[in-house]
Amino acid sequence: MRRPCILLLLVLLLCSHDLYLKMETYFVPEQSAVSLQLYNGTFEKSENTITRDRMLDASIVSHGERKAIISSAWQDLDSTITQVNFNTGESGTYVAGVSTKARNIKLSADKFNDYLTHDGVLDMLAARKQAGKMKQDAVESYQKHVKAIYQVGEKRTDDWKTKLGYPIEFVPQSNPYDAYTGDHIRIQLLHEGQALPDQLVYADYVPSGHQHQEKSGENHDHTHNNELGDHHHDHVGDAGQHGHSHENMEDENSNHTHTEGQQLRTDAEGMLSLHLPHDGIYYLRTIYMTEAKDVDSLTHRSKWATLTFETTHRHDDTTHDHDHNHEDEGIPTWWFVVGSIVAILLLFMLFSKKSTNA
Amino acid sequence: MPKSRQMTLAAVLILLPFLSFAHDVTSADQALLSQGGLMAYIRVGATHMLTGYDHLLFLTGVVFYLRSFKDILKFISVFTLGHCVTLIGATYLGISANEYLVDAVIALSVLYKGLENLDSFQRIGIKTPNLLLMVGFFGLIHGFGLSTRLQSFETGSDEFLSKILCFNLGVEIGQVLALIPIVFMISLSRKRTQYQAFYKAVNWYLVIAGLGLFLYQIYQYFLTS
Repeated sequence: MRRPCILLLLVLLLCSHDLYLKMETYFVPEQSAVSLQLYNGTFEKSENTITRDRMLDASIVSHGERKAIISSAWQDLDSTITQVNFNTGESGTYVAGVSTKARNIKLSADKFNDYLTHDGVLDMLAARKQAGKMKQDAVESYQKHVKAIYQVGEKRTDDWKTKLGYPIEFVPQSNPYDAYTGDHIRIQLLHEGQALPDQLVYADYVPSGHQHQEKSGENHDHTHNNELGDHHHDHVGDAGQHGHSHENMEDENSNHTHTEGQQLRTDAEGMLSLHLPHDGIYYLRTIYMTEAKDVDSLTHRSKWATLTFETTHRHDDTTHDHDHNHEDEGIPTWWFVVGSIVAILLLFMLFSKKSTNA
Repeated sequence: MPKSRQMTLAAVLILLPFLSFAHDVTSADQALLSQGGLMAYIRVGATHMLTGYDHLLFLTGVVFYLRSFKDILKFISVFTLGHCVTLIGATYLGISANEYLVDAVIALSVLYKGLENLDSFQRIGIKTPNLLLMVGFFGLIHGFGLSTRLQSFETGSDEFLSKILCFNLGVEIGQVLALIPIVFMISLSRKRTQYQAFYKAVNWYLVIAGLGLFLYQIYQYFLTS
């Protein structure tokens, strides 16, 4: 038991952290209580909270109006998840976004190379190889900018196209909630408001109603996060002490990667076409990294962006309540109760008749 | 009105209140758990027991077999002890398994209880296992199923044990609330002349439902794996 725990601890220590805005479901009823959570880790598991002083912006856009999420509204669910609870408003397509301040991290050459590999920053890795810089240590400035688009009620509104003005952001070219399973959706990647061409983007999904455990039944040690505390990756400016990269040992043991799913590349206009093959919550991620040639204290700058939304199949639009959860995947309880009563009645009549005849 | 019709009408009327619980709750539950504190865990635990038809079917099978209140208390206590052990233990230790497989085993418990109540084992010459032992064993399985469900929520690590205990308390409250109409209905039916037909109907239904649920869960397992 102890060895797997240590192994898991190492995995958590060594892996880099994507940031996502995550909801239980992105189809939510009007005027209902929901939670918007910041997942700092992978889409499946958050490993750190986000301190309020890191947030440059946190806002929700609906019906043409952008409202800031005040700092005090955020709560730490525990040491791993930061969330805000609120009541959804009127029906419409909503956009939520969070932008974080830049921070620095110092990495040895090996760790930096591993991180580039496992996080899919392959263009920078290739550039380092080509320039013969694979043995150069790195000091990287990184910042994260995340968006989620969710649907309240049935009415589609145009807020999905809102540009939040983040240094890097994904902007869909059509309402994600007008797209259905099996469709493609075009999404533009903007950097400083301009189209970002030839940029690697990774997209994956989890099935709708997916909860927070691994399907494989992997153990989920609730004490690990506390044990980790501040030791990893919630960088506090003290570059150099914390692992940002994946080491080979980790990879061999956990198959942990940030590049699963579809690998896409933006075209000359910063556009990509995302396929939506299954019902589920889709998440896109990209890390745009450049060499920092203007300052001596840095070697690289990276800007991380994610976008999340949910897709469902076409005919469901008119038949279900968009309340995706376990029960949606199973037999609705009331069907079961009515079916049970009918079945028992039929069996009862059958056995009554038999006993009468006997 | 003939007595048989009165009995079926009573069954329908007693089961109707369950429809009020029959709403999709998980997303709402997650929001509730995120905001509602420990009381929310009690509420969600109770709701899950009341809407968990596989648990209710098994309990119905157990209660149907028993005649005295003392026996009901004894068997339900063993079932409760069993599911408390795995619900609290597995959740605390973070032990989980594929929910479809766990639910498939729970479905088998329903099938088993229906067959046992119909004396199926005796008919094919197999000695019926000790009922109390089996109820305790299936209690462990049902608890593991509840634990798997609880672990599917984002609970955070603060007050973790308290949250598990509150969820467990909610499950017990839900179980008591579910047992009241079940015991009442079965007790009422025993006084009727058509009781044997009703007994057979319900237990054959448990067999059919258990088998159907088992096949459904296995199908879902292969569909998602």
